[in-house]
Amino acid sequence: MSFLKFILKNPFRRKNSAILAIVGIAIGIIVIVALGGITDGLVNTFEDTIHAGGADFQISGKETGDSAYGTNTINASWTDKIAKVEGVDSAYPIYVVMTSVGDDYRNILIGIDPAGTSLADISMKEGRIMEDGENEAILGEIYADDNDYNVGDEIKIDGEEFKIVGIYETGDSNMAGGVFTSISKVGELMDDEDSISNIYVKVKKGVDAQEVADRIDAKYGDDITTVTSVMEMSQMADMLNMLQASTWAISLLAIVVGGLGIINTMLMSVFERTREIGVLKAVGWSNKRILGMIVGESLVITIISAIIGSLIGFAACTFLGPQMGIDPLFTPKIFIQAFAIAIAVGIIGGLYPAIKAVKLPPTEALRYE
Amino acid sequence: MNAVEINGLYKSYEDGKIKALNGINLTIAEGEFVSIIGPSGSGKSTLLNMLGALDVPDSGSITVAGQDLKSSKKLNEFRAESIGFIFQLHNLIPNISVVENIEIPMFTQKMSSNEMRSRALKLLDDVGLKDKADMKPNKLSGGERQRVAIARALANDPSIILADEPTGSLDSKTSSKILKQLIDLHEDKNVTLIIVTHDMDVAKLADRVVEVLDGEIISAGDDSLINSKIDV
Ligand SMILES: Nc1ncnc2c1ncn2[C@@H]1O[C@H](COP(=O)(O)OP(=O)(O)O)[C@@H](O)[C@H]1O
Ligand SMILES: [Mg+2]
Repeated sequence: MSFLKFILKNPFRRKNSAILAIVGIAIGIIVIVALGGITDGLVNTFEDTIHAGGADFQISGKETGDSAYGTNTINASWTDKIAKVEGVDSAYPIYVVMTSVGDDYRNILIGIDPAGTSLADISMKEGRIMEDGENEAILGEIYADDNDYNVGDEIKIDGEEFKIVGIYETGDSNMAGGVFTSISKVGELMDDEDSISNIYVKVKKGVDAQEVADRIDAKYGDDITTVTSVMEMSQMADMLNMLQASTWAISLLAIVVGGLGIINTMLMSVFERTREIGVLKAVGWSNKRILGMIVGESLVITIISAIIGSLIGFAACTFLGPQMGIDPLFTPKIFIQAFAIAIAVGIIGGLYPAIKAVKLPPTEALRYE
Repeated sequence: MNAVEINGLYKSYEDGKIKALNGINLTIAEGEFVSIIGPSGSGKSTLLNMLGALDVPDSGSITVAGQDLKSSKKLNEFRAESIGFIFQLHNLIPNISVVENIEIPMFTQKMSSNEMRSRALKLLDDVGLKDKADMKPNKLSGGERQRVAIARALANDPSIILADEPTGSLDSKTSSKILKQLIDLHEDKNVTLIIVTHDMDVAKLADRVVEVLDGEIISAGDDSLINSKIDV
């Protein structure tokens, strides 16, 4: 028999007591794992929304204030300047003008770089993107629906004939009713090839968008202004921070409650085995070995709890999460954290009873009835 | 060399109110079989526990198997290597098998699981219980359990066996079987055997009977006491 096998056998001498301790600690672990999975899932969804495609904020000319599609223009050279600001991943210009479009005397025409549609938060539903500088346009699905346009039709823009090469969809309601052509074509139509109206900015992953926006404001605030949707972001971030904080609070609670439970279980076990511990001392076991045995038994209970708790927490979140509209994300970090907590509880909870066992005078232990 | 040398040993409990040992002098030769007899509460177990380094004296000197137990720091190693204990109650661990119980003292030695197992089975064979190796202790009779306890006491090949009323809870037939086993062992392996008992029939099987009363030796079964009285 190995020492490990002996340690593995001992906790189950009083099954009910061991099971009670396991249930208590497993509940703590379930909560830690489930909350961890939900929090990480939300963080992941949140970061996807913010960073995949769509820009973090936009830049407009000073006078346009907070109106994203104002007609004031800024010089096209701003795009390069903004791109060089620390923390900026990419800067992407658009040129929004009001002109005659189709049957409308005045409608919005948006010029974008055909190479960078992801930042403008549009994706092609039908057809293809327009060629740079050509008389080609793509229409938002709402505009196309409302005005009965299909791919292949012609549309008159600012007096010229354009071919409709694609229909796009977008999450941005401002843009769903729009008409796009290439930014160089808009410049040509407007006879103003050095102007743009807005710059979409995407920050590097992990960088705080608000910080970058503030940096741009501080540097170029006299000429341009940043428009952010940071309010929403910071609210979302607050919520996630709260979730993360409550995960920690619950973990702490689990440590305290689980720790008390295991101390109680192990103290009872040591008390009941007083005579036996006396015998172990009589046959020459060192204090270190007796300490190792009791702490080891405590760890057996908490590690079993961690395994059960992790499985249940993972299963419950995976099956119930999607029904509540949450897509949980389980990284190894969550399980490492759960096991680390279980091991800490096992060591802390086992240590006091183990010291009690070590301190028992062997003669008294052997006299004990 | 002597197995035991004790001089002026005192031990009291509960702040001196209970004087368990009251100036004990005792010498036991290596390979001797000695019984310690006396009424209940006379200090026999206390004396035996001192010999096995389970307790420390208040004063006096005690040397067992060449080790000065008052200055030694590694008493657990001394117990593991030199002493085999047998108690009135077998004190086997209930949730592990008989053979695993015999392996318990071997954890203190550098032995592999396989070495432990084969040695434990050999010891179990010596006490005639090889066929019960995988049973739990509660499936065994009282006499069988005590034989397992003897095998356990021999686990690390000790030079001294200390038995505290080893037959105290057994009927007389089983009792004599156990005693025979202990005596055979003492003769075969030349181990020093010290048995504590309150039963004269048991005590007189020994080479020498030491009588204890109120924490003092009233007869050491040899002329040592007479000599010391003459000295005074
Ligand atoms: N650990 C202890 N604490 C208090 N009193 C003890 C302890 N061990 C023994 N005694 C007392 O010391 C005396 C001798 O006990 P013991 O050596 O067990 O006697 P015996 O084995 O001869 O019956 C008794 O009065 C007993 O109550
Ligand atoms: Mg006694």
